[in-house]
Amino acid sequence: MRIPAPIALALTAILSLSALALPPTAARAQEAAPASPDPRVKFKDGERYLRDLAESLEIPRKEICLELSRYDCADKAFRIVLGGVDPYEIRIMQPLDQASLASPIAFDRVALQVCSNRVARDKADPATAVLFKPAAGRPDAAWREALTDRLYDRILRRGADAAERQRMAGFLEGLEARTGRSPKGQADQTLLACFALASSAEAAFY
Amino acid sequence: MTERASTPNASRRGVLAGMAAGLAAPGAARAAARRKGGGPEPRFLIVLGGSGGCSIVDSFMAVRESESRNGKILNAWPDSLVQSPGNGPFRAIDFSSKTIGAIPAPFTANQSEFVKRHSQDMMVVTYTGTSVNHGVAEHRSVTGNAAWRGRTLQEATALAYGAGRAIPNVHLINGTAFTDRGTDDSLPSSAYGERVPAPNLWPLSLDGYRGVKGAPDRKLFEAARSFRDGTLDPQSDFARTFAASDRLKRWFELRGAPLRDIEGGDLITQLMVHPDSEDMPLKAFGLKSSPLAKKVREAFPAYGFDPIESQAALAFLLIRCGVASTVTLGPENSAVFNKGAALGRGGLSAGDMRNTPIAFDFSHQAHREVQSLMWSRVLSVADRLITLLKSEELADGKSYWDHSLLYVATEFGRSRNRPAGAMTFGSGHDLNNGALIVSPLANGGKVLGGVDPDTLMTYGFDPLTGRPDPGRNMTEAEVFSGIIQALGIETPGAGLPDMRIMRRKA
Repeated sequence: MRIPAPIALALTAILSLSALALPPTAARAQEAAPASPDPRVKFKDGERYLRDLAESLEIPRKEICLELSRYDCADKAFRIVLGGVDPYEIRIMQPLDQASLASPIAFDRVALQVCSNRVARDKADPATAVLFKPAAGRPDAAWREALTDRLYDRILRRGADAAERQRMAGFLEGLEARTGRSPKGQADQTLLACFALASSAEAAFY
Repeated sequence: MTERASTPNASRRGVLAGMAAGLAAPGAARAAARRKGGGPEPRFLIVLGGSGGCSIVDSFMAVRESESRNGKILNAWPDSLVQSPGNGPFRAIDFSSKTIGAIPAPFTANQSEFVKRHSQDMMVVTYTGTSVNHGVAEHRSVTGNAAWRGRTLQEATALAYGAGRAIPNVHLINGTAFTDRGTDDSLPSSAYGERVPAPNLWPLSLDGYRGVKGAPDRKLFEAARSFRDGTLDPQSDFARTFAASDRLKRWFELRGAPLRDIEGGDLITQLMVHPDSEDMPLKAFGLKSSPLAKKVREAFPAYGFDPIESQAALAFLLIRCGVASTVTLGPENSAVFNKGAALGRGGLSAGDMRNTPIAFDFSHQAHREVQSLMWSRVLSVADRLITLLKSEELADGKSYWDHSLLYVATEFGRSRNRPAGAMTFGSGHDLNNGALIVSPLANGGKVLGGVDPDTLMTYGFDPLTGRPDPGRNMTEAEVFSGIIQALGIETPGAGLPDMRIMRRKA
């Protein structure tokens, strides 16, 4: 079948432009993500958030976050502030329409407690450590990269791309200058990197 | 045994003198700074939501049986139970009963003490509402039935007086529509209410760091936040993909100045009512209670188990510490009993039932008992809150109370009929009622409007002179306008009626 000349020209132009618009995979990964035409996200309420982290960080759900060692962060302390409902006790049938002023603060607090909890467990039992694994010698780029991979894998449940590894490495190096290279300094770096990732928008919303 | 709340008995002059002697006053300092900057003089609105229908003819406009031609078949009270404290315009019911309907729950209720203490600031305003649906009527009681583009009294107050306050509009009561957001979407987000579902634990949500064991130094924590906010999130595929999401935009906005204001004000301490204890081991976590906590706990000793006392305790601190310009509190819908109360064979002890199930609406089962008990409960909390606010100086020798207005909001009144001569009977919802406003800013010492003794229906008044007008019913919009005007809120273009008689000053 013959294709009329004008159509053939148009198809050629479209294919050429498409080729230009599709850079090699490696290069594409570094580009900005396209904006969603329908940018709907949901807040991962406290219970969902803690259940996910309990599983991925291997901490029993009931132990993962307790305010003052007594009050479960999602079920008791910050239930409504973190997007939950409580129809039976206080007749709140719907999650908050919008995040309250306290929501991001409470979320930070919960993320910090979870990370602190995990790092404390790792320090107490290095053989079963999940996040914090001290460097054999001086912490180097390989240690930072391995830590970054563990954090992304455990918290965001995906691999980090090259740019993300680079950014996290920069952050960890900056911290090292303030925390030192000792095991305690490494533990603090691990905890703070965990906090940054666990309280990120990607961790809070879906 | 009833756990009777004590009322702070320090004289106002003495406490004010103490303040002048150097007690830290973050709220007062902020108020002074605000005035130096030319801002408006502070005003505080306290909405005390009486869910279920606080009936005005069972309190300050009660009618005696001997005054009504239909006294035996309408809800006119026995003459001996209707007080006229100080021979002023307000009536009061002081009533004791061994039961609440069929429930063996003895109690003693008192309204006259409140009248004696606060009559100069009390203003009762008659009105007839537009709905007997709980949720609809509750919301209309704070929007004046959408009198001003649908914004609530609380939102209007937060907008006018909330500048510089970390959380201008705080909602402490749960499960009612007194705290539903208004329908005016043009307001800045700071004007809308912040929900505080658990007043005793909520202060912990006001600092992302303090009290978290094992956390590295705060400066390092802030560095991690900076990395997240400045690098991690802005450059993440997730945030870029959903950058236009309103939820994400608000989240990022809240992490900025609002978060800094809240944490910078050390509200985790300033608003902590609990002392260090087994239940709240603050010290072990590097935390402590508010410098004013002891005083607040003495005023509201049941703060640990009675929701309205925990709300009121926090309400005071929110105002006193310069955090909020309006607070909304009130009795909730669950039954509340004294600690240790048990339903044995002999029933509850005197005063063990502090809050009836479904609050005032339990009047469906036992009208007079519930109205008496619940009014007494609401007035007791109001009295203690007012007393606390009077005891603290804001500025220039004036107390916080001198700048405050307390509005007992409710949905509707209750039906007036009863079986002939019955003391225990149930009632339904009725549009006709009246509202209690207590404030040095309002035209106190007055009942505006009147009640027809033969029908027990209230009637209105002239908004400018206050002259009673039996041919008129006041509207929700007029009550709303009177409160807005008493608070001195500017209302350009709102078209609200002039309710001159409800303001203390022209």
